[in-house]
Amino acid sequence: MAIKFERVSYQYQSIDKRGYLAIEDVTLSIAGEGEFITLIGETGSGKSTLVQHMNALLQPTEGRMNLFGIKIDKDTKRQKKVKLNPIRKQVGLVFQFPEYQLFEETVQKDIIFGPRNFGVSEAEAIKRAKEVIKVVGLDESYLKRSPFNLSGGEKKRVSIAGILAMEPDILILDEPTSGLDPMGRNALLKVFNDIHEKLNKTVLIITHDMNTVYEYAKRVLVMREGVLVYDGDPLQLFSRRNIENWNLETPEILKLQKALQSKFNIEIDNYPRSKKALFEAVKEGVKQ
Amino acid sequence: METIIEIKDLTFGYSSDQEVLKNINLSINKGEWITILGHNGSGKSTLSKLLIGLLKARNGTIRVDGLLLDENTVYDIRKKIGIVFQNPDNQFVGVTVRDDIAFGLENLQIEREEMIERIDSFSKKVDMFEYLNKEPQQLSGGQKQRVAIAGILAMETDVIIFDEATSMLDPKGRRKIMEYMRKLNEEGTTIITITHDMKEAVESDRIVVLKDGKILKTDTSTNVLNDKATLEQSNLELLLPLELLYYLNENHVDRKELKDYLWQLSLSE
Repeated sequence: MAIKFERVSYQYQSIDKRGYLAIEDVTLSIAGEGEFITLIGETGSGKSTLVQHMNALLQPTEGRMNLFGIKIDKDTKRQKKVKLNPIRKQVGLVFQFPEYQLFEETVQKDIIFGPRNFGVSEAEAIKRAKEVIKVVGLDESYLKRSPFNLSGGEKKRVSIAGILAMEPDILILDEPTSGLDPMGRNALLKVFNDIHEKLNKTVLIITHDMNTVYEYAKRVLVMREGVLVYDGDPLQLFSRRNIENWNLETPEILKLQKALQSKFNIEIDNYPRSKKALFEAVKEGVKQ
Repeated sequence: METIIEIKDLTFGYSSDQEVLKNINLSINKGEWITILGHNGSGKSTLSKLLIGLLKARNGTIRVDGLLLDENTVYDIRKKIGIVFQNPDNQFVGVTVRDDIAFGLENLQIEREEMIERIDSFSKKVDMFEYLNKEPQQLSGGQKQRVAIAGILAMETDVIIFDEATSMLDPKGRRKIMEYMRKLNEEGTTIITITHDMKEAVESDRIVVLKDGKILKTDTSTNVLNDKATLEQSNLELLLPLELLYYLNENHVDRKELKDYLWQLSLSE
């Protein structure tokens, strides 16, 4: 496993010295390829704190992590010899509103900034920029443009391209589709799905959108008050009765399926995986 | 009905060779709940910045409660219109949550006693009372967004603009803010929601659809929600039950009670 957490806790320091526990006793493993994970939970439940541990931006105040073979615990900070840079290259983290972090004159300069920092030659970095710009669904002409004249969705794509250019094994995105219109959101989700399927990378997305969880994810992590309360299959999560107790919404597809099934006597598969599957089932069900 | 905001022939561009808003005409009634719906880049956030005088129109006029918006009236107008932005990091000004909520009240020169009372009651309304002494970096994105909302609500302005203000909230947090908007509106506050989320648009009285800086359509919410052509043109989506309804129609499935039910479901969000 590329990422291993063993009973990891993190306490934030504050001026009043009391501090507060943002994540508590989290144990989990994530593979370095082929996973599509969503991380959900209420605001303030510790989701962002959790993922910031995954590339060692934060280090546990209790417990241990093993990130790509590098062992990290609360003493790591003091041991200056532990090199964390390789982890940052392998685990790419895209923050909330990454578009605010664009700063170069051209899209190309922005994309090659990361790889150049990790010692990649300029020629190689530019070659990568040409590849990743296509992965995020934009064409090469964008490389010469100024990032500041792009739309919100395009800026998000450029910042994701910048992380991809570092060729991480794991790509983590903190609420990547918030603020995008439906078409922009769907297009970006398709990009993540391609990164997962075609490049075989592990993709982890923090989201509040249960439809994303239901339609895309193969695994879902649920955080609640700093504690990891669920780690498993999305279907099983939504078939449990108590998801409302965790303040989670039912995905739209399931809501509609349940409403129709209780009101009309239509035979519909209990867990249609896509809109199309639900619509066709309703059409066939009505005909009978 | 009394008009609170009157927009006439409004045109704006960030540079001389571009027009982000083109010839916008719109009047908003006192006590109305109106949604400005549009894709990313449609000009909807620009419109909200013009309304509170953060940007200056190239052409046209804005009147708020009869007052023409210009350099002299902008501060008076900001006492009438509060705005909550999409990214709370852009509007967090206080060292602590308490300071942040107090900021707007200080500008309104509210008495100290009254200020303390409002900070307590509005922080409770958004479930942030226990966080009053926290610093912004200790808060999650969604919590900062709730603080921003409390800060604007505490100012008790006649009009509140929510510019994608619930984008970072979890479903429960979003529902709470929506409920609060409904309550404010019932009590007479004029609400302007700027969004591309159809669920937020359902409850408003009217919807204005913006596309590429122009008004594509202004109609009752029910009519706009059901207008597939307009929504598709604007990168927006039908609500799921309505999408199914269209699908059944296209496939010539006839079952009236099912279709009625889908319509009802879409409005009960």
